[in-house]
Amino acid sequence: MIEIEDLTVMFGGVRGLNALTATLPEPVTGLVGPNGAGKTTLINVLSGFVRPTIGTVKIDGENLGGIALHKRAAFGIRRTFQNEQVVENLTAGGNVTAVLDNVPTDRRPRRDLIEAALGFVGMIPKLHVMGADLNAYERRLVEIARATVGRPRLVMMDEPGAGLSQDESEHLRSVIKGIHGYCGAQVLLVDHDVDLISATCVATLVLDFGSRIAYGPTTAVLADPRVRAAYLGVAEESA
Amino acid sequence: MSDVTDETLTYSLPVDSRKVRLKWLMTALVAVGAVYVLSDAMSNYWLRTFISAAALAIGSLSVSVLFAQLGMVSLAQFALLGVGGWFALRVSHGLGVPFELAILAGGVAAAAFGLVVGLPALRMRGLYLAIITLMMAGAIQVLISAFGFPDGGAGILGKSTGARVMMARPFLAQTDEAYFRYVAVVLVLCYGLVLLHVRGRPGRAWAMIRRSEVCALAGGVHIVAYKVWAFALAGFLAGVAGGLLAGGVGQLDGSAFPASQSIMLFALTIVGGAYSWMGPLIAGLMLRAFPALLNDFHVDGNIATIVFGAGLLHALMTAPKGIAGQLQDAAKALRAKFPGKPGAAR
Repeated sequence: MIEIEDLTVMFGGVRGLNALTATLPEPVTGLVGPNGAGKTTLINVLSGFVRPTIGTVKIDGENLGGIALHKRAAFGIRRTFQNEQVVENLTAGGNVTAVLDNVPTDRRPRRDLIEAALGFVGMIPKLHVMGADLNAYERRLVEIARATVGRPRLVMMDEPGAGLSQDESEHLRSVIKGIHGYCGAQVLLVDHDVDLISATCVATLVLDFGSRIAYGPTTAVLADPRVRAAYLGVAEESA
Repeated sequence: MSDVTDETLTYSLPVDSRKVRLKWLMTALVAVGAVYVLSDAMSNYWLRTFISAAALAIGSLSVSVLFAQLGMVSLAQFALLGVGGWFALRVSHGLGVPFELAILAGGVAAAAFGLVVGLPALRMRGLYLAIITLMMAGAIQVLISAFGFPDGGAGILGKSTGARVMMARPFLAQTDEAYFRYVAVVLVLCYGLVLLHVRGRPGRAWAMIRRSEVCALAGGVHIVAYKVWAFALAGFLAGVAGGLLAGGVGQLDGSAFPASQSIMLFALTIVGGAYSWMGPLIAGLMLRAFPALLNDFHVDGNIATIVFGAGLLHALMTAPKGIAGQLQDAAKALRAKFPGKPGAAR
């Protein structure tokens, strides 16, 4: 469970996030909003890359402010990136191992954990393939495998669906839906693809100008006229 | 991708591991044979040249650890050779310890200096890091040329007023032939040390850092610790190289470690090929054997510098993987042209 309280992030005079308060208990939560709404900023606060000016974030009751940046992965906060960050001079297995080096293994053999993580995303055949030789979609899957190895609590994905073919997109959906069942982690999904969000997310949080404009079950939220206005730029009918 | 069947779950190594092991075993045997035969066949001039070349290959290895693994440019590594040489000489003369301990002391001292050199790297990269490390190389150059190298005298600096005392060589390797073999063994050990790092946890953490710092942070890599570790390892290698140089000649010249040599070492590591195991060997040979070869032909050895400059331009423009990369590409092309047996050409 993610509890965000009064979270404000200032970039100079610009408010990246503006007194955002939300409690996100669902296994897969969507995070949508127009460009500059603060989606990536929120993810960066959770990862620790951005320090909040005011406010706190708690995950499973633990305040993130007290967890050092490099210990967040071990605590269980993982992410994939908008621009993929697969290490090209390591194999797919090596990429997963590089993260496993720094997170709890629960005393299970490392090899099993690595194969399980790559198996979960369907990348076992590429175990020994160098990152440089993987295609864009395979790289995305390796990132997900990295994010799900070794007891994660929260997996955040920044636009994982961008530029995928129909087949890939369908596989990605099943992978995203399976993350909670596979490793127990909560998923926070940022994407502009409304189809992907409605297919995978139980609940959705909508941001605009750093503030929450809606939160609730995905279908209800996406039908909300204020959300449609923020997204499509349609002016609300004035009475 | 969506239907993962049982067949796709079975996988195999892309290369037969037994064949690979055999290939490396053959390479190792040939190398051992070459070192043994060469050291007997060479004149003293060439023996000493190759001793220096092998020691400098270790120095180049130290540059390549930082550059190839972390993408960091340190222009202070040759100065660290001087630091390692200084401490090795001091410990050897002052305490009369076995050569191995003196070398280790040089390595550890240079590792400590390397750490200091690496501190700016925690905040900077690229050009700024290069400039800062070059300034540190300049500072070390000033210290070394002011105080000189210990040569058997008393006091902290160990400068003798009378005859210069030579550094004691290892018990096992008193002659030039034996010392060359000794240095070759140390070179192999240093490669082993680096390989151990690269294949292990530090290598993976370095690879993540090199990809990008956000990638490393998201993966829980302690960036500061692993960068510091890399600089300490690189410093250690440079220090060992400096100690070996001191043992080869018996003493070191205070003017032999200018900051410009650090740039040269870095440049030639790029020309040789920082990403390949062959690169540092080629760099070592270019630094010492190539000028010696020119001298042998009665050509001014300084012409080598011009050749190196051209080589660097060539490497930067057309061969980012250096000579080593070109050799490997050439070997691949040859294998494709003359497939010895089916399956050999991949």
